[in-house]
Order: sequence, then C-alpha cells, then structure tokens
Amino acid sequence: MDRKRAGAARKLRSLFALAVLLLMTLFFLFFAGVREGGLPWWQAVPSVLRLWTGALILAVSAALAGRVYCSVLCPLGTLQELIWRAGKRSASYRKPSQLRYWVLGGVVVAAAAGYMFPAAFLDPYAAFGRGVTHLLRPLAIGGNNMIATFLEERGVYGLLYRAGRSPLLPGVLWGTALFFALLGFWSFFRGRPFCDALCPVGTFLGLFSASPVLGVRFDGERCVACGRCESVCPEGCISVVNRRVETDRCILCLRCLDACPAGGLKLGRLAPREGLGRRGALRFGLGALAALGAALRARLPDRTVSASASSREERLPISPPGSGSHGNFTKKCVACTACVTACPAGIIRPSLSAWGMQGIFQPELDYSKGYCQFECEACSSACPTGAIAPLTLDEKKRTSIGRARFFRRNCIVRKYGQACGACSEHCPTQAVRMVPFRRNLTIPEVDPTLCLGCGACEYACPAEPKAITVSGVSVHGKIRDRKNEGAEAPVVAPLEEFPF
Amino acid sequence: MDRREFLKRSLAAGVGGAALLVPGSVKRVFADSGKLPGLAAVRGGEPREMFDRGIAALGGMERFVKKGQTVAIKPNMSWDVAPELAANTNPELVERIVARCLEAGASKVYAFDHTCDLWRNCYANSGIEAAVKRAGGIVSPAESASSYTKVSIPGARVLKETSIHRLLLDCDVFINVPVLKHHGGAGITMGMKNLMGTVWNRGEFHSKGLHQCIADVSLLRRPDLTVIDAYRMLTRNGPRGTSASDVTVLKAQILSTDIVAGDCAGARIFGLDPKNVGHIRMGAELGAGTMDLDSLGVARIVL
Repeated sequence: MDRKRAGAARKLRSLFALAVLLLMTLFFLFFAGVREGGLPWWQAVPSVLRLWTGALILAVSAALAGRVYCSVLCPLGTLQELIWRAGKRSASYRKPSQLRYWVLGGVVVAAAAGYMFPAAFLDPYAAFGRGVTHLLRPLAIGGNNMIATFLEERGVYGLLYRAGRSPLLPGVLWGTALFFALLGFWSFFRGRPFCDALCPVGTFLGLFSASPVLGVRFDGERCVACGRCESVCPEGCISVVNRRVETDRCILCLRCLDACPAGGLKLGRLAPREGLGRRGALRFGLGALAALGAALRARLPDRTVSASASSREERLPISPPGSGSHGNFTKKCVACTACVTACPAGIIRPSLSAWGMQGIFQPELDYSKGYCQFECEACSSACPTGAIAPLTLDEKKRTSIGRARFFRRNCIVRKYGQACGACSEHCPTQAVRMVPFRRNLTIPEVDPTLCLGCGACEYACPAEPKAITVSGVSVHGKIRDRKNEGAEAPVVAPLEEFPF
Repeated sequence: MDRREFLKRSLAAGVGGAALLVPGSVKRVFADSGKLPGLAAVRGGEPREMFDRGIAALGGMERFVKKGQTVAIKPNMSWDVAPELAANTNPELVERIVARCLEAGASKVYAFDHTCDLWRNCYANSGIEAAVKRAGGIVSPAESASSYTKVSIPGARVLKETSIHRLLLDCDVFINVPVLKHHGGAGITMGMKNLMGTVWNRGEFHSKGLHQCIADVSLLRRPDLTVIDAYRMLTRNGPRGTSASDVTVLKAQILSTDIVAGDCAGARIFGLDPKNVGHIRMGAELGAGTMDLDSLGVARIVL
C-alpha cells in the first residue's frame, strides 16, 4: 500500500473515531433523553440486548472486517488511544492473553444466569457512559451553575440556566474514578490493553476475525523488517519476526500502514492460502453459540412474578417507567447512565445494592431530592438497551411504577392537629386526596388504583419521619382510567354575579 | 341622522375616547379627593379586558407604578400544567399586567415563582414565561437558595424568620397575581397563599402550621396590588388539578389594594365564607389587611 493512501486512510479513521467519541461524550453530558437526539443503539452491547439479531450482526461484521467496531465506534477505545498518544510510548509485540476468553465466558454465563454486573462493569460503552456522567458531568454542571449565578447576581437573566444536580452515590463515584484511574494508567503505557485482554466485546468480535475478509496483512515481498509497525501498534498484535498481524486482536487503527516506509503492510482481502484453521473454526463455532444464546435470551418472555412490599417496613426498589418489570430492567440494564443524565429531576440514581448482587451499578428511583415529573418521559427516550422501553407521554401518565403508603401516626395533621395536605397537593392523579378528619381538618387517603408511584407525595411530605412513602412494584401496572368519571358538574358553581 | 345629531354624537365619542386614552390623569383627580375604590371586581370578559377595566376603576396603573420604578410580579406558576387546566395564573393576564407596568413607566418588570414541579417546565408550560417576555418583562429564576435572603417578620406568630426572594425585597412595586382555585391543604388558595412561592423553605409552612404561616408571611412585604385571576377556576382536586373536568370557566377577576380583602372576595366567589378560611381570619387578626370590603370601597364591573 503506498504511503499517501495509507496516511489518508489512517486520518479518516481517526477523524471518524474522534467524531464518535465527541458524540458519545455530548450524549452523556447533555443529549440523553432528548427525543430528537437519537439513541446509541449501534453500540455493541446495547444492540445485543435490544435486538435479538444484535449479536449475529456483530458476528457478521467481524467476519467481514474484523474489529471494525473497536476501530471507529467504541468511545472507550478511542479514549484510551488518546491517553496513549499523550504518553507517546513506543510499543512492541505482546503475546495474546488467554484471560480474555475466560472473561468473555464469565460475562456470558453470568448474564445468562441473570447477573448483569460483569457485563455492566466491562462493557466499554457503559463504562464510558459512567465515566462521563459521574466524573465529567458534575464538573460541567458546576461550571455552568457558577456562571449562571454570577450573571444572575448582576441582573442578567435568561442567558444561562442553572442545571439540576447530578445524582451521586459515593460508592459508585469512587468505583468509577478508580476504574478510570487504572484504565488511564494502563493505557498511558500500553495503548489499548483493556481492549486486548479484558473487553468482552473485543474478544467476542475477535472470535470471528481470525481471518476476516478485509484486514491488515503483511505483504511479504516488500517488508524490510524494520519493526516500525510493531512500535506504533496500541494492541501489540503485530509480530515482525513472524510477519504476522493477529487480526483477532487488531483494532484497525491503521497506524502500521502509515508507519511502514516500504509499503509492506496492506489493508486487503483474504489471500486464498489463508484459511481459518482448526482452532479458528473452533472459536468461530463457540462465538456462534454465544451469539445464538444472546439471541435466545433477548427473545425470552419476561417472567417476573408480580410482587409488592410484603410488610409496611419493607421497601422494594423502583425502576423507571417504561422498564415494565424489575426482571426486564435488571436483565437488560448495563448501567450506562443515559437515563441518569436524561432525568431532569435528577431522581434516577445509580445504586450499589438496590437490586441485589444481580444489578450492582444499575440505577433506581430515589425520591429524597425530587420526584418523577408527570409531564415527562425523558428516561424512556434515553435507553439504548431496551431496559427502559419508549413510552408515549399518555402511556407514561398511566403507568404505575410503585405504590404510596400512608403512615397515619407520622402525619402532621394527626400528630399536631395542623392543616397540611402537601402530599395531596403534589399528587397529579389525586390518588392521595384529603378526606374529612377532626374539626375543620382533612387528612390524606391513598387510592392505590390511581397511584403512579411517582413519589411527589413522599418528596413533599414535611413530616419527620415521612408519613407517606413509595415502594416499588415488581411488575408495573396501569392506573384506573378516570375518563368517564369526571363528567359530573363541578362541585362549586357560584350563582350570583358578585356574592359580596 | 341629521347633521346636528351627527355632530353631537361625534363630540360625545371624542370626549369619551379622550377620557379612555388618559384614564390615569382623570382618575388621579379622584385619587386626590380620596374617592377611589380599593377593590374592583370584574366579570364577564376576557382576562386582558377585565384587567384594563378593573385597573381603570382603581385609578389606572399610574396609581401603583411611577416612572422609573422596578416592579416584581408574582404569578402562580407552580405546576407543570397547561394554561387550560387552571392550575397556574392565566398567561394573558400576566402579559397585560407587564405591558401596563411598562406603559406606566416602570424601568424593569420581573416575574418569578418558587415552583413545586421542576421550574424550567413550569415556567415554559404554564405559558407565563413566554407571555412575560412578549410583553417586555424579565423572567427570573427562583429555584436556588442563592436568590433568597434571610429576614425576620415583625408581628409574626409562628414564622418569625424565613428566607425570601431578593426581588421581593428590592423592588419598588410588588404585584401579586394569584389564581383562584381549590386547595386540598388550605381549602382554597388566592393572594395570601400565593406568597408561599416567594419563600425558600416551603416545607416549613406545612410543618409549622399552614394557615398561620401563610398569615405571617403576608405581613412581610405587602403587595401594592393583588390581581386574583378567576377566569378559569379549579373547583376540586386543587391545587394541581387532574383534568379539564375540574375546571369551570368563571370569567371573573378581582383587583385589590388590600390582600386580605381580595382573598375575602375570592372566597365568596368560590362559595366559602372567608371566616371559615383559617389564613384569611388570621391575616386579618395580625393586621395584614381588612375583611371589611365596604370600608375599602368596591367597584363592581360587569362586561
């Protein structure tokens, strides 16, 4: 391949990869939940969870063009390359690690058993999302709010708004920070070792790209064995001694093509004498099995058993509207935090233990600092995996994700004999309504058939401890339709023109 | 019609028109003689024209806003709900008030509310943000503690100290523009209850006793003018409402120089005896205003 063309190809690839990185960063900073913003369903793991054909499409793409996903679409991969470039280290060939197969196997088996934690932790898309949402976004919000407040104090309104808080859990924050510190350190010295040794997506694609139709190869005649290709490879997958590019590890950054002074490498089609080999065929078969398994799992019907809190002390976690059931949610969520960014109320908060061992990092709704807004369905427009399915606003307004419970002994009205009604005031469906109590007072009453579980009542309740709280339901329901109930005339109808 | 008749009519129309063009100057004469009513109740028109007729009866906007003054308007836009559902003040009314303030020579007109639902959604979907901007006013945020200043309330019984929006303390003229509606907690909400959206810690009202706190806070910065919007009214399921069936179209408006008197008139329209509304009674006891409408002078206008 002549150098001019190789250089142009490398630059084109870099530009594309950087554009995707920027897009994904902006998505997790601002655009998640904006309907017109689009969804990153084309990311590897989301596509596998969302479509039953997702894994098969990935496999075909790898058989055709190797790890092209890793080359241009993976934001975490591009980020690591940037860090590596900042270090400008010279690289050399590294032996393939066998660990990666165990990691992939572990992730697949765990996911099949319903434990999404390993997949969530290692999916490069989700890990990248957590990095932006937990590490970058608070800084962006803080900066924005400082400027907005500065302007406001000088009488400039409407130019910039203070953004809502970014919900944080210390454990998740530090976990993410540690992950990125280690990743940064590792890639600073070694390029993209995560992609080589740990990433389940990379390993899965590698199973099909032992000899892809299109890949980087040595052009034996021209190579002068200078070793420059090896020294620029962030994967360490080029061995000059063996005149071999290990295409199942190559992430198609095309640096080697550009670096070669003799045109000894080419991006080209499979030569007739290169075959899969026995090992290749075995890996191909294993990969196909995994893809088939993923397809079956995606088509499996949701068998969540309907349940709500069994006692007044127990409190089930609440999954976002659109998730359908706890089972569907925990089975498909990779904790990428797109919904966390999308929620304008800041109530979708990553959790550590809310979903048990199955779902470390998966978010839950937390009503201590806000509540689910009646006129909003942002989270359901933000999820690329199908853990939260899209809902129309009308559907969302009828979807019950939890149930309010009233603890009469804590209520201000009963405790102090004072008028209150903050809960009912905030209730968008009047599932919590005020009914006659002693003297002139009214006290809340909950109608569970109208309760959305939005948490407005819990948030608004001024009592300490709260007199009304919301517990999740394992299978989301629909509230009673009141279309035909509101037809009677309004209660108060003033007759006189001026009754004073 | 003969020529004489025509001349007579033209003359009459001309004089009438001139009077309409300069209502302030004409009414100020009345103001000096102390004859202006303190409360105007209007029925049967659209929000804009009811306001124009009501404010003319009170002596024109010039009675309240002088050249170069800053005005703070406090509409009720606490809920992320469309204008037709009557949970928030009518945006057309707010637009007209802002416009009239600016015409009267106000240097700046601000509008704000400490909302219950998310403030950006409330400001936008209530239609009030757009209305204020159309009229040339400024919409100010009120969602951050940094906009509030701690003050003590002399004469208060329970809420002796609270944090209040700075614009309310800094403005020359304060116009309170509530909507009349049912309220699950307070029974009914109008002018005094609307002031809850000027304080930072709303929850405190509920835990310390809602009615007394509402009465207490109305002592702090008495509105120069309270305009109660009752064009559409939530008759039940307030203050947020659940559907259009909770709303009745009343086509009424009350303009009052006295916040307690305004609320009394509003309560009557809602069908309640003001004596049975805790915060109105307590407000009158504290001296925030009077429950005696006749002592103020009432103008009743039917369109």
